[in-house]
Amino acid sequence: MSIRVLNPNAEVLNKSAALHMTINAARGLQDVLKSNLGPKGTIKMLVGGAGDIKLTKDGNTLLKEMQIQNPTAIMIARTAVAQDDYSGDGTTSTVLFIGELMKQSERCIDEGTHPRFLVDGFEIGKKATLEFLEKFKIPVVMGDTPDKEILKMVARTTLRTKLYEVLADQLTDIVVNAVLCIRRPEEAIDLFMVEIMHMRHKFDVDTRLVEGLVLDHGSRHPDMKRRAENCYILTCNVSLEYDKSEVNAGFFYSNAEQREKMVAAERRQVDQRVMKIIEMKNKVCSGTDKNFVVINQKGIDPPSLDLLARAGIIALRRAKRRNMERLVLACGGEAVNSVDDLTEECLGWAGLVYEHVLGEEKYTFVEQVKNPHSCTILIKGPNDHTIAQIKDAVRDGLRSVKNTVEDEAIVLGAGAFEVAARKHLLDNVKRTVKGRAQLGVEAFADALLVIPKTLAENSGLDTQDVLNEHDQGNVVGLNHHTGDPIDPQMEGIFDNYSVKRQIINSGPVIASQLLLVDEVIRAGRNMRKPA
Amino acid sequence: MKEIVTIQVGDFANYIGSHFWNFQDELLGLAEDDGADPIFKNNHMDMDVLYRTGQTHQGTYTYCPRLISIGSQGSLGTLSSSGSLYGDSSCSDILAWKGGVTKSEEKRHEKNLFLKSLSEEGEEDSHIEDKDRVECLERDVKFWSDFSKVQFHHKSLYELKGTWTDFQNFENFGVGKEVLSGGLHMEELNDRLRFFVEECDHVQGIQCVVDDSGGFSSVASEFLENIADDYTNIPVLLYAVRDTFSYTYASNQRKSITRSLHDAVSLSKLSTYSSLVVPVGLPSLGGLASSLCAKDEKNFHSSAVYASAIHSMSTAFRFRPGGSISNTTCASGSLDIGEIVHNLAGQDRQNMVAILDISMPAPPLSDKGNQGNVLNRFHALGPEIGDDSEDLYMAESLVFNGALYSGVNRASISQVKDSICRVYDKGLRAKPKSSHLSISLTPIPIPLSFPSIFPTSTGRHGETLVDQPEAGPPRGPLEVESIPIATRLRSSIAIKPFIEGRYNNLLRHGMARGAKGAGILRDWGFGKDEVDDIGEHLSKMVRVFDPSSEMTSDSD
Repeated sequence: MSIRVLNPNAEVLNKSAALHMTINAARGLQDVLKSNLGPKGTIKMLVGGAGDIKLTKDGNTLLKEMQIQNPTAIMIARTAVAQDDYSGDGTTSTVLFIGELMKQSERCIDEGTHPRFLVDGFEIGKKATLEFLEKFKIPVVMGDTPDKEILKMVARTTLRTKLYEVLADQLTDIVVNAVLCIRRPEEAIDLFMVEIMHMRHKFDVDTRLVEGLVLDHGSRHPDMKRRAENCYILTCNVSLEYDKSEVNAGFFYSNAEQREKMVAAERRQVDQRVMKIIEMKNKVCSGTDKNFVVINQKGIDPPSLDLLARAGIIALRRAKRRNMERLVLACGGEAVNSVDDLTEECLGWAGLVYEHVLGEEKYTFVEQVKNPHSCTILIKGPNDHTIAQIKDAVRDGLRSVKNTVEDEAIVLGAGAFEVAARKHLLDNVKRTVKGRAQLGVEAFADALLVIPKTLAENSGLDTQDVLNEHDQGNVVGLNHHTGDPIDPQMEGIFDNYSVKRQIINSGPVIASQLLLVDEVIRAGRNMRKPA
Repeated sequence: MKEIVTIQVGDFANYIGSHFWNFQDELLGLAEDDGADPIFKNNHMDMDVLYRTGQTHQGTYTYCPRLISIGSQGSLGTLSSSGSLYGDSSCSDILAWKGGVTKSEEKRHEKNLFLKSLSEEGEEDSHIEDKDRVECLERDVKFWSDFSKVQFHHKSLYELKGTWTDFQNFENFGVGKEVLSGGLHMEELNDRLRFFVEECDHVQGIQCVVDDSGGFSSVASEFLENIADDYTNIPVLLYAVRDTFSYTYASNQRKSITRSLHDAVSLSKLSTYSSLVVPVGLPSLGGLASSLCAKDEKNFHSSAVYASAIHSMSTAFRFRPGGSISNTTCASGSLDIGEIVHNLAGQDRQNMVAILDISMPAPPLSDKGNQGNVLNRFHALGPEIGDDSEDLYMAESLVFNGALYSGVNRASISQVKDSICRVYDKGLRAKPKSSHLSISLTPIPIPLSFPSIFPTSTGRHGETLVDQPEAGPPRGPLEVESIPIATRLRSSIAIKPFIEGRYNNLLRHGMARGAKGAGILRDWGFGKDEVDDIGEHLSKMVRVFDPSSEMTSDSD
């Protein structure tokens, strides 16, 4: 082979060996993730070399944690993770689907079919399944007030695969309300406007939705109030610290006295800024029981804090950049970059601002805001890995609600779609295909079954009853408690339309690419050597 | 007080950091130890500059480095990323899932003798002596944490996870970029940094140690870009470090082109977002052989040398403001990061790449003739350094820690000052255009975790013993308690070859027509405009040394 001439160290795997290598890799990956799928899947506990714990049931997280070396596996993993980036879920399903497509192909290839026919069949199968999905999906009209129940069902379906039922159901309401809170007509939903904050709390597993904002810092002055009602909120990005570097940059002074003068002048400027804020406070608050809170993205140094504290103002420094935006969405007003032209319109409003201290960690709650377009999901857990697990679940839950709102459609879950799509392919599509591409369509149809099959397997059941039911023309899913057919619609089990579509779309593409690999060349390292 | 936040990025940076923090820990310990040399009692150094006081949920007070350390997954060894101060993370109750659990456990790393002695202070095994601990570190150090005796805050240690790159191949700018894309890494890092900065009343600067030989360079530059956005005006002092392995001969042409492009891109990007860049890391420590016997192949050794220099520089940033008279006799010439940046990079010549020199152990000062020229005993710790004897615009900043005077006595502040003045007055060395001198009487303490890299002739306090035989094993922490050290940061024309070499490589391999490396830069995600910007930035850095361009620089 020519490559050998060019590089004697290069190693070449020929056609069938190459194919088996890729197929094995795909199946290996499938085996790893298989047990995760569905509400009866097992959670994986990863313990690191120093005893650090990571708990996850999320295929996406798991793929990233495993340091995958095999090039085929990496290709599949990348596709699956891209799936997650795009739609927030379905990583495990993608991996399973690709693995199953490869498995079905292997059978055909061993019987002498050329991979080309399978690839053609996959293409036809993919197109037909996508068309079928369009018919199968259940449109949901969102309008101004979306049907909360539908959103809840989708969120619950997702969350129950990540957390135990009671907690999942509690979170269901939270994520749905959070998305509805930040949703604004005519605008795409920006999930970043939901802040996810966590507290490490001794025995408690608890999560709640704060309509408003929770900041992970507090005031830095002992005399500032820890709790205030009826607060004007000034959101600003103004340096309230004396910045020596500016003086330095000049080095204009030649003796200590001059330097002192420079320092004093610079100090005066900072003080003036502080005074402007205090003036504003006096203007809007004096004579009332109203309070004034400054939340600044830049620093506030102790002398400035002092002045503010004496004026009865609560001041927070170094706020997160993204919180500037969130604060305005939650409290109203605007984020100002200069205190020169402050008006009352710049100020936001919150009914209650209070501080919560846990050891060295301080949290400031800004609550009872007027019309919140930003909110915070506050997660409490006793240890880091529990918090991380809940956080991942919350992110997935939020994505599923967002997808539903944007898709304006949902798909029956519990494997119902896959079983129905398979039946459609075998009964209606396969006949229309000529020649050996039929095999590809059939392989594709069978591969779809991997989802319900794995769901059943993870519950210690089999799918036969469900398949029979479909053969009689009823669309049913799998009851993971009994293995009996159930009606997903009755049970409220729904999946995201966009997630399903993406899986159907990307799975066959990667599988086809892998099938058409007929030579693997690696120059340098020995690929048969175990890693 | 003016706080410093320290950031370490990459494995070798963490090696250096580990030694660096061990020095601090040793200083803290010696200040409280009644049996210790009284020179360490004088607390003219304010450790709060580098450390923060915290409190756990249980109410226990903690004192931890104000640090963010970024490493690759698995680089922490036996150290838990969440530290051990803030509650046990190994409580494995699964509270949020009632179904089945599959456990996959990595093999536990075993603690070496040194770490064991730290964790079981009460029930110490009497058979194991300090000698064994020192030897075990000499024999085998796998992770930077193997010789670290510092307790870290739970927000300090960050592992870059979620990548498919095995970290053996984490060797260029592009790979690093890929690792960050899509993940929430930056978000998390920014949050952690905010935590440390928010509690500072007045940050003087960020001290950043970056292993810039591989993908961590782009991790750092992205982080620094965020910092520049969020904290305008906070100066960043950046040490771009690399170990000796990063200089090993590239096995093929593509690799060597990749590497030279990486070096160029890395320098350009890192310098864009920092105030002063200091390249640190020699291909071989052979040049220092007259005073140190560090082994090139041991990162444990080389990092100790670099850490000593970085520590010595940092002492000048934390002298207590000279109010009381007792302090002024122990230290003089306080600086902050902003000032050093201004002194070196902000005056006549806006060169922002400085050279770090070290003299370790520093020779005793004396008033006799040429012997007194301590400035001749400096060794540059960066590669590709040229000559600067003719440089008219040189600026330097010197730090002396615990200098000795004619033999074994500790030199006083004025003795150090006089010696330096004499060197310049006598014309033994051209006087730089600007020079700053910081002096601390406290030498560098040598903790048990320090490698044995001192020649046999080194005495207990770092003096040179005359009657000692030359042969014999190198001396280490058991024989040497402390050493005097002098370091210097200089901004001079000697760094020009370093920058120019990188610029020319970028031109030749990345920007010229049909250049072989153009595709590599594309793979790293740089468009043509971006490559031009990178080149423009480097060329600007080279031009500051060109006297003719100085005239024009004012006009534009």
